[in-house]
Amino acid sequence: MSTTAPRESPSAAAVYVYGVVARGSEPALADDGVAGGTVGLVQHGDLAALVSAMPSEQLRVRRRDLVSHLAVLERAFAATTIVPCSFGTVLASEEAVRNGLLGARGDELHALLRRLEGHVQLNVRARYDEDVLLRQIVAGDTGLQRLSERTVALGEAGYYERIRLGELVAAAVADRRAREEQALYARLAPLAREIAPDEAGDEVLKASFLVARNGLAGFDAELEGIAAEQDGLLRLESIGPLPPTAFARLEEARWGS
Amino acid sequence: MAIATHGTSSNYLQRAPSPSGLADVLDVILDKGLVIDAYVRVSVIGIELVTIDARIVIASVDTYLRFAEAVNRLDLTQTEAAGLKELRDGGSDEKSKGVKEGVKEKVTPGK
Repeated sequence: MSTTAPRESPSAAAVYVYGVVARGSEPALADDGVAGGTVGLVQHGDLAALVSAMPSEQLRVRRRDLVSHLAVLERAFAATTIVPCSFGTVLASEEAVRNGLLGARGDELHALLRRLEGHVQLNVRARYDEDVLLRQIVAGDTGLQRLSERTVALGEAGYYERIRLGELVAAAVADRRAREEQALYARLAPLAREIAPDEAGDEVLKASFLVARNGLAGFDAELEGIAAEQDGLLRLESIGPLPPTAFARLEEARWGS
Repeated sequence: MAIATHGTSSNYLQRAPSPSGLADVLDVILDKGLVIDAYVRVSVIGIELVTIDARIVIASVDTYLRFAEAVNRLDLTQTEAAGLKELRDGGSDEKSKGVKEGVKEKVTPGK
């Protein structure tokens, strides 16, 4: 634990990296970074990395650190285009940031900055209201209705009938969900520059959309339209505008040695 | 509830400028963004487990039983009347119930 927090140059210590911006567009820096470090800049050519010193290589992640990382990104994103780094990115030294990252991957970083410029990320989730969905599925299927009545009548004895009923309902839900997901992507894809699908749990759709700033209103109107048409069956959630964390990928994960 | 008016979809589209819950924060920053072959990666093993636990396995006996119970709980005589009403003019009872359940769902994301 260091008592003297390095200000501008964290010298030879390990460096936590938040993201990369174009030099000359450096944002106002938040004071508090991950692990209580002060956020500063490491510059090389016309790129600058947002960094803070790491007190030790072993950071025990706390909620505060996660929130700090995002806060630094959001603050920078409010002022300029940023290529965000994944949470927990630590380089050996300022020198490694300067030469290994900004220097060695400069061309790719420039290309990324150009691609992300003027764009924001929206994290969209769509989820069924299960009660409404099940009502619709059962209402349109007399076979399911009869099986349901039978399992109720059988009570405890109807274990296998209950499994059969659930299996049929689950299949109907999965089928419906898959078609709905395709339909939603078909409507939203033309309004986004890129899409990064997330692994969906119980969601119908879970994905990040890279949307041009001047296309935000149109994208939101489409979400609003979908929600209105579905009339309570689908719950939609839109988080953003966020820094484009899901779209900051280099061609390969290698970097200059 | 007065908010369940036909044509008003704001109940069904929630907007947030920034993630608030821990799961949403993780969605944005964990394994997202530039991944470089870094000197050291901060250990986030515990956190990864949390996100995996939150995922629901779709095809399992437990899921089937849960669906069966959910279907058997439905009042089917009400289904036809309410279902049609809802499709035609957005029955307000169904909606306000849905809103409450939506909130409950948020509180217990593991379900």
